Amino acid sequence: MRRTLAIALFVLAAPAAVLAHHGWGSYDASKLVTVEGPIEASTYANPHVQITVKAPDKTWTVTLAPISRMQSRGAPAELVAIGKTVKAEGYASKAEPGEMRAERITVDGKTVEMR
Amino acid sequence: MLHDAPQFLIALEQSGLGAAIRSSPWAYPIANVGHILALTLFAASVAIMDLRMLGAFAGTAPASVVHPARRMAMLGLALMALTGFMLFTAEASHVAMNRVFQIKAGLIALGILNAVLIAGPAIANIAGVPAHTPLPTRARMAAVISLLIWVAVAACGRLIAYF
Repeated sequence: MRRTLAIALFVLAAPAAVLAHHGWGSYDASKLVTVEGPIEASTYANPHVQITVKAPDKTWTVTLAPISRMQSRGAPAELVAIGKTVKAEGYASKAEPGEMRAERITVDGKTVEMR
Repeated sequence: MLHDAPQFLIALEQSGLGAAIRSSPWAYPIANVGHILALTLFAASVAIMDLRMLGAFAGTAPASVVHPARRMAMLGLALMALTGFMLFTAEASHVAMNRVFQIKAGLIALGILNAVLIAGPAIANIAGVPAHTPLPTRARMAAVISLLIWVAVAACGRLIAYF
């Protein structure tokens, strides 16, 4: 039992987490932000898809939805690939400058809800 | 955040395993669900074990409750470690730098130390203790420490997402 627990201790020296922004409390929901421009980087990955959008004012990191939701709502990786032009509406992070969470995105005339 | 993390954690996140967990639509949600299910097993076992050590369910022989509950708690902990490792690997560099996560990791270490060094010896020789007999102070102290630590660990786990 001691040895098992000792092993568990080592495994657990770096355990579990969900860094997803559940509840989205750290975003300014009082002001809707619209970001439009070409996608410069795209990470189609869990827990949230993220894209980098070069807007006229600055470059934004835009947080989208988990992969499974993106897919079920009709937003596969190709829709948010590098080079596509996207319009993202959402809320700016109060914690990380230049980051926003999108409520919806529009690509190729198609609007997809993220929440 | 990536550049602040220790090199081995960046390597872990950028490993094939990390990439596989992030790129699969289901690995991360499954690990997430598994982590919560393992938590219910772990929390229930710990609660039964600690409450019995504190004198609840006094009509039972302590060993008949404490020992099997402790084995179930260890299984729950192992499953939490497995699913937690998956969730951690996906975003190791971010998570490791999260203050609440660091507190949680420290508390887990304390919880395991309490289980091994304080609770373990205190319940090693309770096999013959009959029902309606209070356990030694050391066992009851270990149970209180255990309950406090593991509740705090659970709270920290949920709070990581908010800091």
